[in-house]
Amino acid sequence: MHIPDGFLDAKTAAVSAGLAAAGVAVALRSVRRSADARRVPLIGLAAAFVFAAQMLNFPVAGGTSGHLIGAVLVAVLLGPSAAVLAMTAVLVVQCFMFADGGVTALGANVFNMAVVAPGVGYAIYALVRLMAGDSLRSRLLATAFAAWCSTVAAAIVCAGQLALAGAAAWGVAFPAMAGIHLLIGFGEAVITTLVVAAVARARPELVDSGREQTGPVRHAALTAYGLLVALGLAIFVAPFACRWPDGLEKVAATLGFGQRAAAGPVLPAPLTDYRIPGFKSAVASTTVAGGVGILVVFGLAYLLARALTPAIAAAPRRPKGTSTGA
Amino acid sequence: MRDDWLNPYRHRPSLIHRLPATAKLAAVGVGVVATVLLPRAAWAADAGMGAVLLLVALVSSVPWRHLGRQLLLAEPVALGIALLALWQADGLRVFAAMLAKSTLCLSWVILLNATTRFTEVLRVLRRARVPALLVTTLALMHRYLFVLANEMGRLLRARRSRTFAAGRRAAWRGSATVAAQLFIRSSERAERVYAAMCARGWKP
Amino acid sequence: MNALEIRHLGYRYPDRSEALRDVSFAVEAGERVGLIGPNGAGKSTLLLHLNGLLPETPAAAPAVSVFGTPVAEPHLAALRARVGLLFQDPDDQLFCPTVWEDVAFGPQQLGVRGAELSDRVARALAQAGLAGFEERLPHHLSRGEKRRVCLAGLLACEARLLALDEPTSDLDPRGRRELKALLAALPVTQVIATHDLELVVEICPRVIVLDRGSVVAQGPTAEVLNDEVLMLAHGLERPHILSHRHPH
Repeated sequence: MHIPDGFLDAKTAAVSAGLAAAGVAVALRSVRRSADARRVPLIGLAAAFVFAAQMLNFPVAGGTSGHLIGAVLVAVLLGPSAAVLAMTAVLVVQCFMFADGGVTALGANVFNMAVVAPGVGYAIYALVRLMAGDSLRSRLLATAFAAWCSTVAAAIVCAGQLALAGAAAWGVAFPAMAGIHLLIGFGEAVITTLVVAAVARARPELVDSGREQTGPVRHAALTAYGLLVALGLAIFVAPFACRWPDGLEKVAATLGFGQRAAAGPVLPAPLTDYRIPGFKSAVASTTVAGGVGILVVFGLAYLLARALTPAIAAAPRRPKGTSTGA
Repeated sequence: MRDDWLNPYRHRPSLIHRLPATAKLAAVGVGVVATVLLPRAAWAADAGMGAVLLLVALVSSVPWRHLGRQLLLAEPVALGIALLALWQADGLRVFAAMLAKSTLCLSWVILLNATTRFTEVLRVLRRARVPALLVTTLALMHRYLFVLANEMGRLLRARRSRTFAAGRRAAWRGSATVAAQLFIRSSERAERVYAAMCARGWKP
Repeated sequence: MNALEIRHLGYRYPDRSEALRDVSFAVEAGERVGLIGPNGAGKSTLLLHLNGLLPETPAAAPAVSVFGTPVAEPHLAALRARVGLLFQDPDDQLFCPTVWEDVAFGPQQLGVRGAELSDRVARALAQAGLAGFEERLPHHLSRGEKRRVCLAGLLACEARLLALDEPTSDLDPRGRRELKALLAALPVTQVIATHDLELVVEICPRVIVLDRGSVVAQGPTAEVLNDEVLMLAHGLERPHILSHRHPH
């Protein structure tokens, strides 16, 4: 999902950069105000961990393999602001040292993968936990669902940015980006959940709620992220998504299809699976597929969580040691 | 795994290498922005920019094969997104123009990377008053990246030596366990680094 | 004034098991003392008390004092400069991007800047035999070199008491020789926790034996280490080097 240079126009790049800067500023402030100095090296090491872990292979089919993105993993284990900073560091290094993601697109990439992904991921995680309880099983369910949602959300915003910048029509970008990430998100959900479950098995205290800060600092940060994500959706997605009944006719006309009935696929083979007979466009198909996907993924997430938790109880938190002397 | 596997040519004594990092960063920033602002499909301007880049590459004495390989590694993403443009009016022209632009921008960054050390970039960021927490995160990330990658290598080898079942399920479980172990070790190391920082008087 | 005084120090691990029990000893200024004992004896835990990293919450009546100052608030900040703790894993301690920055870290925290900072770093690196290493990256260094960089970082803080945790572990023979020579040449008070009994014989006139959190013996090195019964009883052994000496 790293957008290279040359695809975003000035306004999109600038607005994205502004939103990204705001998100990073919120994260910096939140970490500083938490007054827990231990988080400083922890976030740095977490960034190194994400970078290294992204190199792990999760074989899919043939020669392809999936990889961890890591935004939700860090958010679940260390909190949303830690995730924002760690992912930002990873993206900055990828941009300058690996030419992975453009320099002018850095703002957009940071917003999508370091603000939207962890922000949406953590919000959904917290929401599902609120509803499903604090057991390890509910946490894993929340993790899986959150990871999928965060991947798809980031992809949707990315598509919006490309469309707003005129790099690709919404009618093409949305199905392509969101469609593919409906699948990729699935992999991310499974991988993230497997890792969290493995951490819980080895060191349960790293996954329990004691490690998260609660209170006004965390809530303020979450609210800020929520606002930024909403802004992003409003700026990049709403102009296209809301207009779609009419907009799609325009898109179809631009693409040169006019009144042609959607007998054959609009885009080549891989996306035909997302078409439901009777719908005129890939956008509508993708949206419906996404909606169905939410339900399906939630169900699968539940099954995964159940499979991973025979009967694990969380260990008690380690209390501090005491010294005595004369 | 050493730092050099990323880029073995960072220590060449060329003129470009010896330029101060601030100048190089600024030049790349300007270069990329200029390339992006060029009108789409302005082939003459693109060619001019390409000539500039070739000149810089020449002076930097970084082997062409290395630069070429880096470019090939980075292109696929740009290619993939550019492909989406084909489904527009005048698609082929747009596709070609996008590809040209992104290739030029990639070249700027690849040249920067080949001639500048990351530690110098960190110093520039610090001087530019980028928030300390962010710079520290970048510095620690860079410092421990290779340590963690080595640890991951050891974990992977150990796991492979004990994996007798073939197949995806074993591979996924194996990789997930390695990732979990790596996270736990990184957490513990972070505690020790924190202790080491405090031991030398660090006050956040 | 003794460099280090410990009186009846006790410490419990978080799971309530005892790590240290009624530990008492003193170290004179300029002395080099070896701290030996089997694994799990509490050597590392003890060293962490020397600069206040343990206990996590400061005790009301601190059992440790360094150069007359009790190891407790509000002296901790000043003490951290005076007590240099060398961690077992140099990768944990060498956390800055370059060698120069890492050695400069300590003095910078003390407010040293500019020319004085450069001087201190240069002198510390020279003392550690690492002149010319300023721009090197940590992950390019050998383990022995990393250890010496960490030591240089402590010397740059002008530490007067060095607490070293297994300084020669994981070193190849040459690295070990170089480190040993360095430590022998430093005129600073040193407490060296180690399994390397030969090192203790070679550079520590006095030794303290720790087992299961208690001091079980202390005295002149040759005397204590020659006592085979004592050594074996506490998971150690009489080092061969006591029978013959080779100059290295």
